[in-house]
Amino acid sequence: MIGLLEIRRRKMQFALIALIVTLISYLVLMINGLGVGLNVLAGSALQNFDADAIAYSDGASVSVIRSELSQATVDAIGKTPGVTDSAPIGYVSANYRRADGKVNSAAFLGYDPGTIGEPKVTEGRALTAEDAGGLLADKSFLKATGLDVGDEVEITFRLERRAFTIVGEIDEGAFFFQPAVYVLRSTWDTLRYGARGDETPAASIVLLKGKGLPGKTGAGFEVVNKRTAFANIEGVSGQQSTVTSLRVFGYIIGALVIGVFFYVLTLQKIPQIGVLKAIGASNFFVFRQILLQVVGISAVGLAISVPLAMVSDAALRRLPDAVPIAFTTGTFVTTSALLLLMAIVGTAFSGRQVVKVDPIIALGQQQ
Amino acid sequence: MATTLAVQDLEKTYGSGEDAVRAVRHVSFETAPGEFVALVGPSGSGKTTLLAMIGGLLAPTGGRIVVNGSEVGGAAKRDLAKYRREMVGFVFQANNLLPFLTARENLLVPAALGSLDKRDANARAGRLLEELGLEKRRNALATQLSGGERQRVAIARALMNDPRLVLVDEPTASLDSARGRQVVESLIREVRARDVLGIMVTHDMAMAELADRVLEMHDGEIREHRAGKLAT
Ligand SMILES: Nc1ncnc2c1ncn2[C@@H]1O[C@H](COP(=O)(O)OP(=O)(O)O)[C@@H](O)[C@H]1O
Ligand SMILES: [Mg+2]
Repeated sequence: MIGLLEIRRRKMQFALIALIVTLISYLVLMINGLGVGLNVLAGSALQNFDADAIAYSDGASVSVIRSELSQATVDAIGKTPGVTDSAPIGYVSANYRRADGKVNSAAFLGYDPGTIGEPKVTEGRALTAEDAGGLLADKSFLKATGLDVGDEVEITFRLERRAFTIVGEIDEGAFFFQPAVYVLRSTWDTLRYGARGDETPAASIVLLKGKGLPGKTGAGFEVVNKRTAFANIEGVSGQQSTVTSLRVFGYIIGALVIGVFFYVLTLQKIPQIGVLKAIGASNFFVFRQILLQVVGISAVGLAISVPLAMVSDAALRRLPDAVPIAFTTGTFVTTSALLLLMAIVGTAFSGRQVVKVDPIIALGQQQ
Repeated sequence: MATTLAVQDLEKTYGSGEDAVRAVRHVSFETAPGEFVALVGPSGSGKTTLLAMIGGLLAPTGGRIVVNGSEVGGAAKRDLAKYRREMVGFVFQANNLLPFLTARENLLVPAALGSLDKRDANARAGRLLEELGLEKRRNALATQLSGGERQRVAIARALMNDPRLVLVDEPTASLDSARGRQVVESLIREVRARDVLGIMVTHDMAMAELADRVLEMHDGEIREHRAGKLAT
C-alpha cells in the first residue's frame, strides 16, 4: 500500500523506470518472437506433417537432403511392427523466381494423394493422379512470387526448366528454410532423378503413424520422432542456441537493470526505512513494499510492451520480405512470466539492503 | 492500566578495548504510573543511548529494562520489532515522516504495520488529527507541512497504535522556541490524556520544566532526579 502510493506520488521517477522496463521487455519479446519465427521458417511444414514418427535412410544422419529410400525399403518401413499408416515423401530443392526478380529456392515435397502425406488445401483444389504438371503452393510461396491459384510458375532444377500450374494453396509453412511446395511423388521423381532406372530411390523419407515407433531401425532405415527430425534440420541447433543465448542475456539484463534501479531507490530511502523499522516494521513489510513496486512497474512495462510487440508483428508481416518473427500466445505468457520473475530476482539486492538497515538510525545518532 | 518502567543497573558500552565508550553507566530508576519524564543533560551524556535501549532499538551491554513486568532487550530482533510496534510510540527529531505521504497517510502507517483494522485506523487517525489541530492539513503532503505541523503529525503517529510508552528525542530541535513549546505542550497533553508513560529527551531546560519529573544525565550517569516546576 505504501509502495503503491509512492509510485502514485513520484510518477516521473517511476515512469522512467517503467519506460526502461518496457524497452527491455519489448526487446526480449522480439528475441523470443525471432526464436519462434526462425523455427517456423526452419520447418513448420515438418511440424505440420500428420505423422507420429519419420523414417530416414540409416546412413543419412537424419538429414532430409541425404536420406534416400528404395521402394523395397519404403515397403519394409511400412511393414514395421507398430506402424498403422505410412506415406513416402520425396524432397528436392528447386529454384523459382520471385516477383522482385530474385531467384530463390523452394522445398518440393512429393506425395501420393490419399495418403497421410497429403497437405490440407486452403484454396483451389487438391492434386489428382493426373496432375503431373500441377503443384500446391504454400501461402508464403504465393506471396513471394506474387502469383495466385490458377497461375503458371516456372521452376528450374539444375539445367532444366519446367512450367507448373498452381492448382491449390496450402498453409503448411516452410520446410528447411524454404516455402513448401507439394507435387505428386511421380513428378518429384522425374524432377530430382530425371529418367527412372532400377536403382532410383523411391522417396526421401516416410511419414509414419503408430505408437512407440521412434528408435526403431531396420534394413537401411531408422525411425525418429518429429522433434528429433526437426532438431536435425541443418542450421536449426546453431540457430536455436544463438536465440537462446540472446534470450538468456535479455532476461539477465532485465533483472540487472531493474535490480540496480530499485537498489539505488532503496539506498536513497535508507533513512525512511530506518524510521519504518524503528516504529516496528518488519524487514518483510519493507521488502514487500519494494516487491509491490517492482511487480507494479513490471506489469506496466509488460502492459505496454506486449501490445507493442503485437503491433510490430503485424507491421512486419506486411513487409514483402518476411522477417522471421512470429508470436504464439505461449511466447507472450512465458516471456512475461519470466520477465516478472527476473524483475523479482533483481530486487534481491534491495532485500539485502533492507535487512542491513539498523532502525536506530531513526534516532539520528549513527551514520 | 498505567505503564510501569524499571531500569536496573543499565549499561551501554560502545566498541571495545581502547576505543570503548561507556555511554550509559549503572543507570537505575523507576517511573510512577502515567508519568511524563524529561531527560536532560549536555550533549554526549548518553540521553539518546538510554532512550534507544528503553525503546528496544539498542541492546544494553548490562542491566535490565522491565516494562509492565516483562524484560525488554536481549530478545530477538523480530520480538523487538513487535515490542516497538505494539508498546512504543516514537517521536524522533525533525523530518521523520514519509515525504510522499500526506499527514493522514503517515498516521495510517503504524496501523498498516499492526493489526488495527482499516475502519478503526481511519477513525483514530481522524481523531488524533483533530486533537492536534491538524484537521485542515490532513491531506497535505509531509513535505508541505511546516516544522511544527510535522512534529505534531509525528506525535499523532506515535499514538496511533495506542502505545504504553511514548519516547521522544529532541522533538523541538528544528523549531523556534514558541513553536517548540506548543509542540511539547500538546505532546504532554496527549500523553497524559492516555495514562501512558512519556520520556522526552531534550537539552532545553524550559521544555524540561513542563514534565512531571526531570532526570539529568552526566557522562552516562543520572545525577539528579527532580520534579518539574509545573508538576508541583
Ligand atoms: N554508535 C556509536 N558508537 C560509538 N559511540 C557512540 C555511538 N553512539 C553514541 N556514542 C557515544 O556515546 C556517548 C553518548 O551519546 P548519546 O547517547 O548520543 O548522547 P546524547 O544523546 O546525550 O547527546 C557519546 O560519547 C557518543 O559519542
Ligand atoms: Mg542525542
